Amino acid sequence: MQLRRQPLSAPRPGDTRPAAQRLAVPLLLLLALQGAAASGGPEDSGWLQDAEPSSRLLSQAARAALHFFNFRAASPSALQVLANVLDGRSWVNQKKEYKFDLVFTTEFYSAEEGEKRLGKCSAQVFFRNEKPRPAVNVTCTQLVKKERRQEEDYQLYKLMKQLKSPLNAVSIPDSHGYIAPSLRPIWDLAFLGSSYVMWQKSTPFLHYYMSQISSVKQWKTNDDAIDFDYTVLLHEFSTQEIIPCRIHLVWYPSKPLKVKYHCQERQTPEEASGTEEGSAVALTELSNF
Amino acid sequence: MKPLLGTFYLLGMLVPGWLGYDRSLTQQRQEVVDKVVSPWSILETYSYNRYHPMGEIYQWMSEIREKYTEVVTQHFLGMTYESRPMYYLKISQPSSNPKKIIWMDCGIHAREWIAPAFCQWFVKEILQNYEDNSRIRRLLKNLDFYVLPVFNIDGYIYTWTTDRLWRKSRSSHNNGTCFGTDLNRNFDASWCSIGASHNCESLTFCGTGPMSEPETKAVSSFIESKKENIACFLTMHSYGQLILVPYGYTKNKSNNHEELIQVGQKAANALKAKHGTNYRVGSSADILYATSGSSRDWARDIGIPFSYTFELRDNGTYGFVLPETQIQATCEETMEAVLSVLDDVYEKYWYTNSARKAKSTALVLGLLMSFMSLL
Repeated sequence: MQLRRQPLSAPRPGDTRPAAQRLAVPLLLLLALQGAAASGGPEDSGWLQDAEPSSRLLSQAARAALHFFNFRAASPSALQVLANVLDGRSWVNQKKEYKFDLVFTTEFYSAEEGEKRLGKCSAQVFFRNEKPRPAVNVTCTQLVKKERRQEEDYQLYKLMKQLKSPLNAVSIPDSHGYIAPSLRPIWDLAFLGSSYVMWQKSTPFLHYYMSQISSVKQWKTNDDAIDFDYTVLLHEFSTQEIIPCRIHLVWYPSKPLKVKYHCQERQTPEEASGTEEGSAVALTELSNF
Repeated sequence: MKPLLGTFYLLGMLVPGWLGYDRSLTQQRQEVVDKVVSPWSILETYSYNRYHPMGEIYQWMSEIREKYTEVVTQHFLGMTYESRPMYYLKISQPSSNPKKIIWMDCGIHAREWIAPAFCQWFVKEILQNYEDNSRIRRLLKNLDFYVLPVFNIDGYIYTWTTDRLWRKSRSSHNNGTCFGTDLNRNFDASWCSIGASHNCESLTFCGTGPMSEPETKAVSSFIESKKENIACFLTMHSYGQLILVPYGYTKNKSNNHEELIQVGQKAANALKAKHGTNYRVGSSADILYATSGSSRDWARDIGIPFSYTFELRDNGTYGFVLPETQIQATCEETMEAVLSVLDDVYEKYWYTNSARKAKSTALVLGLLMSFMSLL
């Protein structure tokens, strides 16, 4: 596919159209350029389609979409990770905004060795000005039926309610990669909270993985919901940095996830470091954070 | 000899370890200390499915050398920043045949524990099978293996005693306020031009100059001295499931890029056949990110033809903290990939020669035959 440029029409020799008409077309195009930022069509707004999108960039965009998907699904028993990008197109414009159109396969995060069921997602991902927190539109095939997913979430929830606080675990997993079976639900729930943070922080050039839970500050289960305050170590791949993030989440099966977080950035490229509030739902009841 | 070695290990291990003492990791440190000096053989019960602290790896090396004395020798490369000895194992079948060298190093980045685990696995596989496995026997006829099980020893120990996710070396900078150079940005290959930082705080700190670190100097001066005979340079990392060819510092390709990709792809296929794990093959700049000063790029630039970086399991699920339960599968599949590369290297240097002889003999015979028919 050739790089397609939107030509601004200029009067050609032998052009006998009246002056008003010659003005109208560029004017219309200008209007189109102004208004087309969010409309997604590849032909407008000065978007240049990448003739050879880098597989790395496509994978990063797919991961960002999956973080958002996992956060939205709020289901620790059904977390998905990227398997392969099947198809992807990318566009960039002069404002350094990036747009992606992707089709990719996914696997279960908690898949047992050998269990290889693949899901499939399609997503549009939009990064404004190389900034984090891309706008994501994502739909995935249902790997597990909704009822079964809710049932498994509820089982996880029951297991977690039985865990006594204070949790004595320091690092999950430990240095040897071991997670005690009783602590496995904690890891899954932590990954769910981290998904929100990783979505928020992803840019076209920064992408994250969860390395370890380095400490558990609080684990409460009064009034039914699970109240989980922990510190997670995120690994940013292109800088190789390890970023500690304090995350506080409240989860109840089938309810949307409530999250607050604060990451310690050692180096601050474009983003300001500091407390960032998250989640669409106000966290008025979590005032001691 | 053993008590002397033991004391040496103790000194080399305890003194720096003491300085980095962290009370909350008492248990792990205890393991490190306890396992250093063992009067008993650890080889009998050595588990290649577990991660081992540096003290055990030192002991393992010397016991391997003692047990397989007909083919293994241990050699000193240099001292680390914290004054620990760097040793590599040379596996060589004595013969009058001309040999090419295969170099493999693991653990240039401290937190990538699966890499040193693979180096140990590789040595074990070669030594346990070279007598009755025809494939390995053939390779050893003309190839010598040089294996450095842990490149960044100070950093590796630090991940056991203090910070599991430490990456760099433990050199001291800025008056002791900042530690560690990224050894894989410290080589003299477009040093610090891109994908590396002059800032010590960064995890990709390139050092105070190309080859500024003692570890880099130790390895590079050795490789430089043997470069004419080195056919293959393999450096093992994690994670990402990638087989990377030069370059990281430019999108330009090496003059044997096509061949490197072909051999790499064949290796990835062999790897996948084992347990279904997917690896991607490509240049660092294309499929990973821009880097400068990497050992692999430097090796290619001084003339070593087959130069690869392996990024082992996984794809981010556990990342650096890969569970021990995955060591065996990871090592088995990686072994297939490495053997595939070695087969190709072997064929390039020895099969081609004999094939060429066969072809030219056939040509001469053919010409003679046509001459005869004309008479």
